[in-house]
Amino acid sequence: MNLKNQLELMIAKKVLLVGNFGVGKTSLIRRFVLNEFSEDYISTIGVRVSKKVVTYKNEAIKLMIWDVAGTNADEKIPKAYFLGASAAMFVFDVSREETYVTLEDNLKMVKELSGLEKITIVGNKKDLLSKEELEVVVDKVSLQIDLLTSAKEDENVEDAFMELTAQTLK
Amino acid sequence: MKKSTTDNKDKRFELLRDLLLTEDREKFDSLRKEFILNEKLQEKVSPFVDEKILDLRENFPKYFGDKVTDAIKIQIRESQDEVVEALYPIMGKMVKKFIVAEITKLSDSINKTIKEKFSVQEILKRFFKGKRNDAGAVLEEVFEFVIEEVFVIEKESGLLSGSYSRGSNVDKDMVSGMLTAIKSFAEDAFSKEGQDLENIKFETFQLSIRNFKTIYIAIATTGVLTQEIKEKLSDDISNLAEIILRDRTYLSEEYRLNEIIIRELIES
Repeated sequence: MNLKNQLELMIAKKVLLVGNFGVGKTSLIRRFVLNEFSEDYISTIGVRVSKKVVTYKNEAIKLMIWDVAGTNADEKIPKAYFLGASAAMFVFDVSREETYVTLEDNLKMVKELSGLEKITIVGNKKDLLSKEELEVVVDKVSLQIDLLTSAKEDENVEDAFMELTAQTLK
Repeated sequence: MKKSTTDNKDKRFELLRDLLLTEDREKFDSLRKEFILNEKLQEKVSPFVDEKILDLRENFPKYFGDKVTDAIKIQIRESQDEVVEALYPIMGKMVKKFIVAEITKLSDSINKTIKEKFSVQEILKRFFKGKRNDAGAVLEEVFEFVIEEVFVIEKESGLLSGSYSRGSNVDKDMVSGMLTAIKSFAEDAFSKEGQDLENIKFETFQLSIRNFKTIYIAIATTGVLTQEIKEKLSDDISNLAEIILRDRTYLSEEYRLNEIIIRELIES
């Protein structure tokens, strides 16, 4: 089978990246993805779509990553952005408590809108805190954090998206 | 005695001449020396000057290009009104020339089409086919309707199921995703419950969207979309959707779906 047919037969999955403004969702995507639309879309319509083909367990998967701006209930985001997703990653900033203090409520909202049962939780900007400070944050967050990442230092970024890919196949 | 007097006179004359012309002679000698020096200097310097002039002539843009550009930029910036005033008539003429050329082309095209469409043969053909809208026929011919892109997209996820493109190299997966996002945004912001976005127009392109329960079909077209073409296109889209929705395996087999898109929409 030629490459064109392989690409055409590839599984495609929609995944969501959610979390408050400024937590580093876009930076994580920028680390992981090369081809993307202008960031202006996020401020204009509240979402930007990027694409990345990953190989997971010898299978090529086309990830369509929807970077959704903000997650607060007061923010007006079209509910349709959350529909049809196979997995979602909730990103918070380990250096800003306000981005994880309402984590449970925000996750509940994302689960309700997307219909997903499991959401990957990622604490970004780990490079800004010491090991001890990170432990304090992990203790403070009531839910199990799946990964601590640093888009700036390129730490665990690939792993976070691989975890997300694994979720799409469950 | 007489001779002696004459000698004395000559000597005095010589003496007087010396007294009167010494200064002039000195000046003359000095000028002559200066002139000779200049001539010698010119002989020596001339080749270098010629060479430098040639170099300047050949490399003027390299040596002074930036400076000249900057100077012109500053001059233009500082005297915008004068520049506009100077360019206005020239630009006006250019625009006029362009419009005249384009109208001439359009006129030729219309004339050609009218000539063809109003031949006895064509009139009879249209009469028997029941097509009586002559203006529509001419417009259709001049501004030919072309399907540029077709996207079959899953409604909720925005994932691309199949597509056709006349030549664009854009990433169709990304376009499908963003189109779905824009559609969702527009529907959420402007429409009432259950209403869907159906048309987007931009310059010469128009994007027609047909919504079904689980998929939507977006078609980008150029040219005149007459009522007749619109109806045919609508029928073709319905047929395509019927085929896809009856056999949903098309949605997971992109190459098969692409073939059916070409068969139903492009070749029909």
